[in-house]
Amino acid sequence: MEHLSNSINTKQLIACQQCDALYDKPELKQGQSVKCVRCGSTMMERKVDSIERSYNWSLAGIILLVPAILLPIMGVTLAGQYHHASLLDCILVLIERGYFMIAVLVFLFAIAVPVVRLFGSFYITYAFKFNKLKPSLLDFFRAFHHLDNWAMLNVFMLGIVVSMYKLLDDTELSINMGLLAFILWLISSTMAAAALDQDYIWEKLEDEFVNKYSEK
Amino acid sequence: MSLLINTAKNNNLALCPKCHKLNLLNVECHDKKIRCVRCHGLFYQRKSHSLQYTLAWNIAALIAFVPANLYPIMIIYSLGIGDPSTILSGIGQFVDQGLYPIAVIIFTASIIVPLLKIIGLFVLVYRAYTGVRLRPDKHSKFYHVLEFLGPWSMLDVFVVALLVAVVELGFVTSVAAGPAINYFTLTVIFTMIAANSFDPRLLWDKESNDLQGNKEKNDN
Repeated sequence: MEHLSNSINTKQLIACQQCDALYDKPELKQGQSVKCVRCGSTMMERKVDSIERSYNWSLAGIILLVPAILLPIMGVTLAGQYHHASLLDCILVLIERGYFMIAVLVFLFAIAVPVVRLFGSFYITYAFKFNKLKPSLLDFFRAFHHLDNWAMLNVFMLGIVVSMYKLLDDTELSINMGLLAFILWLISSTMAAAALDQDYIWEKLEDEFVNKYSEK
Repeated sequence: MSLLINTAKNNNLALCPKCHKLNLLNVECHDKKIRCVRCHGLFYQRKSHSLQYTLAWNIAALIAFVPANLYPIMIIYSLGIGDPSTILSGIGQFVDQGLYPIAVIIFTASIIVPLLKIIGLFVLVYRAYTGVRLRPDKHSKFYHVLEFLGPWSMLDVFVVALLVAVVELGFVTSVAAGPAINYFTLTVIFTMIAANSFDPRLLWDKESNDLQGNKEKNDN
């Protein structure tokens, strides 16, 4: 097994995150991506207008977040009585009934994580767009990655559909504005996350801060 | 015959899992924590004790999955009379009503996916540990499917949360959550953590080592 010397330049290499295969780093134009030859997973991608698009979608998501959480999603009528509930009501009712663990987890997955991710991607893209880069962004963006797996708005959406079917059977179901707001919120937060070009952001932050330190 | 592919590990490099920066290692610190030069996060070259953690979380998930299916997940009160339903009997109701697509979705999300994840991860851990009939290309694809499916099991929990909040018409009809929902949520969380603890690069390490070994044998 040969060990390459310490003069190896890590900037000219990339490794696959899934299978650890090592390659020379290709130069990518916007819209291009590289796949690993061995396992087929995407290693790097230059997304088109990443900062601009992610900024706009995050802004839309932040605007939609309040109506999506507070407006009633759906309501039922039975024997003359009507009751509706919003996303926030789901959590409040669970707390009221003593299901604290479920309340906390639903809050985390359906509200807290998506909201923090939206503000996070907004802050990052804002800093890039208006050129206000700070060294603290390195830590901020690293922390941001911890939330990658835990946003479940899409699952909650399917949950809404399933519970509608469940209710259709023996009650009169009404759909409220909250559902529209929630769907739009789901779309904008998904798009904001999908448009964010992490490799570009990391490389730019590295050029800006890390290398300066090592030169000194 | 697959190509001999150079890996980061063989070149004494480690990839930061957060910012995907390649870090150069000192030779002596293979199992030690590394601080990434770019994002300053701490990480290991391979997730530390990956197989042990995956196995442990997986067993926890399997244990929680038993009460999740035995206890009622939801109790529907109609005119003061409670009608408890477990995950399976809830699916049965959908089948009785003829709502087959919904029944299939819930059955997939609440029964098939958690079981597939638990059994699948056991198999992956076993194969990665022993190297018996290890097919890295197939198994890493399988791992990605498991990882992707994880959050979708929360479906039933969200449905119950919504129903409890929406159907609140006092004496006429109301819905209460059952004890199974706690266990079921734990199952989902545990399987997600188990999948996160698994390091798919371990599936490939065996192959790289074997090839490396063969090459060295041939060289000799």
